[in-house]
Amino acid sequence: MSADAQRAEPLIDDWSWPWFFAGVRRALAGPAFYVAISLMGVGSLARAAGFPVGVAALSTLLVWAGPGQLLFFGASLAKTAPPAIAFAVSLSSVRLLPMCLSVLPMLRGRRTRLPVLLFAAHFIAVTVWAESLRRLPDLERPARLPYFFGVALTCMGLTTLSTAAGYWMTGTLPKPLSAGMMMLSPIYFLATTARAARSGVDWLAISFGVLLAPLAIRFIGGGFDLPVLALVGGGGAWLVGYIARRAA
Amino acid sequence: MTIFSADPALAPYLALVLLGFLPSEVWRVLGVAISHGIDEESEIFRFVRSVAAVLLVGVVVKIVVLPSRELAAAPLWTRGAAFAVAGAGFFAFRRSVFAAVVAGVATIVVAVWLTGR
Repeated sequence: MSADAQRAEPLIDDWSWPWFFAGVRRALAGPAFYVAISLMGVGSLARAAGFPVGVAALSTLLVWAGPGQLLFFGASLAKTAPPAIAFAVSLSSVRLLPMCLSVLPMLRGRRTRLPVLLFAAHFIAVTVWAESLRRLPDLERPARLPYFFGVALTCMGLTTLSTAAGYWMTGTLPKPLSAGMMMLSPIYFLATTARAARSGVDWLAISFGVLLAPLAIRFIGGGFDLPVLALVGGGGAWLVGYIARRAA
Repeated sequence: MTIFSADPALAPYLALVLLGFLPSEVWRVLGVAISHGIDEESEIFRFVRSVAAVLLVGVVVKIVVLPSRELAAAPLWTRGAAFAVAGAGFFAFRRSVFAAVVAGVATIVVAVWLTGR
């Protein structure tokens, strides 16, 4: 095969627009609005920290992780030293690693290219992760990548707009509504994880998280509370499932 | 952002890339690298799935017990109640995520409205 023919090969085999738009519709049925509303606060914080609106919107496109964005603008507002900001953001984003590891193997086909995987990984944060975990296992493998990108691009697009909207709307919402907006994403995250639960082990992991998280937050400091919690609780849930599968 | 001495209009964008984008993206790139050897049916995949689920629950619990800004206006018991009502909505409507979100958010809005000044 000549070099030209190789270059003409598409980056993604079996691209399906119907599955892409199925993903778009899924996102518009809830998740895209949940994440868009919950990240409006990032915009208002960016404004308080003296950043232009472009940086606020770009933070959603580039960072795409709520806690990391809040830390970046919050720490800038507090005049934190740049290396400390980078460290805090990075620590808050460690959770992206297990999320990528639990989604990418479902997306990857035998011939999926590295740039496609890197691009897909960029969209993995809690919302897209939770939807992927819930929907992808039921889809045929060729449908998964277009569906994933439909969900992911819709969520990120709407949230980029809402981050800018939040920047301009700072301080105009009544208190009960802003409190409700901040409660939206934790409830959505927990509910959609419960919805995605497929086995006793999944429910066990959720229960371990609920029971052990207060202890971890109380007794483990320095930002390591969640990584330790996840390894102990998640490891424990997996071990129980492993032993049960061995016994069966 | 005094360390960025180039065009001052670009400094905040540069800060975002260096201090926001790169420190978080590194974990995703690492995820792509490691995921190469992981099969969907393998034990390591199951393990990581459990770890990620517990991590998410931890994030949720942290938002609820250590609330920031406006959410702190709602007393702890109302935040707990919001989750209880959300759970009731979830199971009452055949595991509906939407019902959970509406029920929980409505609870916290009413609670802050009634208890707030």
